[in-house]
Amino acid sequence: MSTRDHVLGIDRRRLLGREVPLPPRGVRWAMSVAAFFTFWWAAVEFGFLGFGRFVGPVDTLIAIYGYLAGEPVAGGNQSIYIHAAYSTFRVVAGVGLAALTAIPLGLLIGLSTKAGTGIEWNNYLYPGLESLRPIPPVAWVPASILLFPIVPVLGFSINTAVLFVVFIGAFFPILVNTVEGVRNLDDEFRRAAQSLGADSGQVFRHVIFPAALPSILTGVSLGIGLGWITVVAAEIIAGNYGLGYITFQAYRLLQTDVIAVGMVVIGVLGYASSAIVQRVADYATPWSDIETS
Amino acid sequence: MDGARWAKRGVSIASIVVVWFVAASIGPSTLPGPVAVASAFVGYLGEPVYWNAVVLSSLRVLGSFTLAAVIGIPLGLLIGWNVVFGDFTFPALELLRPVPPIAWIPFGILVLPSVAISLGVIGFEVSATVIFITFLGAFFPILLNAIEGVRGIDEEYSRAAHSLGAADWQTFRHVIYPGALPSVHTGMVVGMGLAWVNLVAAEMISGGGLGFMTWSAYTGGSYPVIFVGMITIGILGYVSSTIVRYIGASQLPWMEGSTV
Amino acid sequence: MSKQESDADDRAENRNQDTNGYEDIQNGHRESGSAGSERARATGEALVEINELTKTYDPDGAHVVAVEDLDLDIGDNEFVTVLGPSGCGKSTVMECIAGYLEPTEGEVLINGDPVAGPDPSRGVVFQSNRLFPWKTIGQNARFGPQMRNDVDDERIQQLLDDTGLTGFEDSYPHELSGGMQQRAELVRLLANDPEVMLMDEPFSGLDAMTKELMQEMLLDIWEEEDRTVLFITHDVAEAIFLADRVVVMTARPGQIKDVIDVDIDRPRDSSVLTSEAFNEYQERASDLIHDEAERAMEQKQQETQEA
Repeated sequence: MSTRDHVLGIDRRRLLGREVPLPPRGVRWAMSVAAFFTFWWAAVEFGFLGFGRFVGPVDTLIAIYGYLAGEPVAGGNQSIYIHAAYSTFRVVAGVGLAALTAIPLGLLIGLSTKAGTGIEWNNYLYPGLESLRPIPPVAWVPASILLFPIVPVLGFSINTAVLFVVFIGAFFPILVNTVEGVRNLDDEFRRAAQSLGADSGQVFRHVIFPAALPSILTGVSLGIGLGWITVVAAEIIAGNYGLGYITFQAYRLLQTDVIAVGMVVIGVLGYASSAIVQRVADYATPWSDIETS
Repeated sequence: MDGARWAKRGVSIASIVVVWFVAASIGPSTLPGPVAVASAFVGYLGEPVYWNAVVLSSLRVLGSFTLAAVIGIPLGLLIGWNVVFGDFTFPALELLRPVPPIAWIPFGILVLPSVAISLGVIGFEVSATVIFITFLGAFFPILLNAIEGVRGIDEEYSRAAHSLGAADWQTFRHVIYPGALPSVHTGMVVGMGLAWVNLVAAEMISGGGLGFMTWSAYTGGSYPVIFVGMITIGILGYVSSTIVRYIGASQLPWMEGSTV
Repeated sequence: MSKQESDADDRAENRNQDTNGYEDIQNGHRESGSAGSERARATGEALVEINELTKTYDPDGAHVVAVEDLDLDIGDNEFVTVLGPSGCGKSTVMECIAGYLEPTEGEVLINGDPVAGPDPSRGVVFQSNRLFPWKTIGQNARFGPQMRNDVDDERIQQLLDDTGLTGFEDSYPHELSGGMQQRAELVRLLANDPEVMLMDEPFSGLDAMTKELMQEMLLDIWEEEDRTVLFITHDVAEAIFLADRVVVMTARPGQIKDVIDVDIDRPRDSSVLTSEAFNEYQERASDLIHDEAERAMEQKQQETQEA
């Protein structure tokens, strides 16, 4: 694509010691993907390791088609859409709650670090929260099943234990990135605003918040990634609905096609949500290139 | 001044315990308080079951993480350096990346073998599933950061090396590899964190180690042990991240702000 | 031959006059009769008064005296440049005037009142461009007036026109060249109508040609707008080209080594740079600064070794 890639591509060809005619990039990519499916097919076909017990790519495609048409999955009577909706809701709600608490807390902690005056929230709040951070969110699963009930809301049963675990998973990346976003702001921007007549409220609104926003959004993006990891784990362990739940239920019932379909759907939704966050971030911060994922 | 700051931090951490204590006193009877957990902890410190779980989980993380680094770093450097190689390999890897490692668990249990090994007192069942899940957790962050590390190196460094007479492999050895190291290090720190996340999930589901200990404490009704497990996992996770950071910083003396 | 001799004489005479001027400043009352005040531009009362300013830092226990016992008056509508080697405390002086730092000893007065924190009447242009990256050029330009809900769109448009930035209102700073960014920062400052403009090596990141154009533009604006400017630089030619008065500083601890009154007619343009008089000023300033630069470099080396 860029000159650099082009130059490097040529260089490496020479490195092989002879001129090899190379297919264009798109074809190379397609070959890579095709090779992946071929390996999968071959592993199942020839029974490599335990692959003989697993489902091949063609059967997976057929199964995807069937379940997307609304067939109930994994011995229950719900379609895959219901389970996908449960998982998505849990991620969105868990990450949303995490953002609503972690962003204000992070701003408070970051600001008090910079100010050096006023209440030292950075010293009072941060160490306590930090001491909880090394505990992986999944390790909270047993404790949260113990403490958080299943609440029926409008005919749906909200599993607050799963929600809490997703919340924990997303909370720390958002908090840490918000704090860092505020701390990394060069003091001269604040000074510049003050010298132009901004009061402290205006400095926050026009300088500190927009400056920290790219970092905050990076945190939200990481939070969503961890949200999907934790939601799948929590659903496998403690769920009654959701994609993690059906994937593991399918394992118990030895419906290997559902396992594969579940993985594909989880992957697609995870990918889609990070793409959405990327789009939102690009829109909200047109001045900056944000690294997500 | 400094003393006061440490005192405030101490207050902060102590207040977590206080909040916990209050919650346990007025909250649901199933929630054990800090005292019950502390006494359970002390009791567990004398139990071989506990140490078995600690050693097993640590070895699993160490093994999986090492495997992820040994495969992920060279692969990432190569993909980043050689565009053609990257074109042939990366798209296939990208297909797998969005699937959270934990979603591989049913697949792993079905497909991957499990081998029993006995080392004198401690008997292990080496579950390839848990290793594989933990490996996946660490692998992708390490791989992606290695690729980004190479791609982020300014082309002019390579040109400078070439102009000074470096051959291709010398450029790789003296420019590409060290230039990508800071990013590789970042990937390893992130990877270590995710290794623990996925290890705990895999252990809860398919058995063994601290994850299983924590989960079976819940199913068996010995609730304080849940918190013993959580705290132990937290400490081990923290220690392993610190080790990775320390090793990284010691390898990067030229980075600004690296202090060892 | 004879011409060179007379030049040398002129120079010697100049030096005497300036030394007198400097002493007068140090005593706190510059008499109108002294040679130092015969400048192209009439200056009024002292707008900025710095009295016995000392500023020390104690980072990690190391005691650093950035500025020691510095006295300086800046008149209304005067253009003063501060010339000094790197790390000599030039920026510290500016930061005390801007109100970012509190003097350890001594005081800074504006119109007779002590400085209490940053204020829109004292605008600052920073060394590394500090346009807000998250705001467009237009939003940056109206930032100051917007803060007090008093945006004069015509004035801002005029300033953007004058600096050749029309059409870039909706661009983000990173989409502009260094010179344009620097102009935009100048517009942002002027839109706010400050009494004193504090400029900390604003052009040091620009290439030589862009720099020259920016200097001319700054002078044009200054002639029109009648403002007081304190301009910090380590570029000898820039200091002389712009200034009514060049304050040469010593290496740390920062003190005033000498003050050069620049008696070159205004309005000035780049043709001044090749004039005889300019060369003389430049030679003199270079002589003054050379030893200080050497000392500053030694200091820096020593600190690096200690660290």
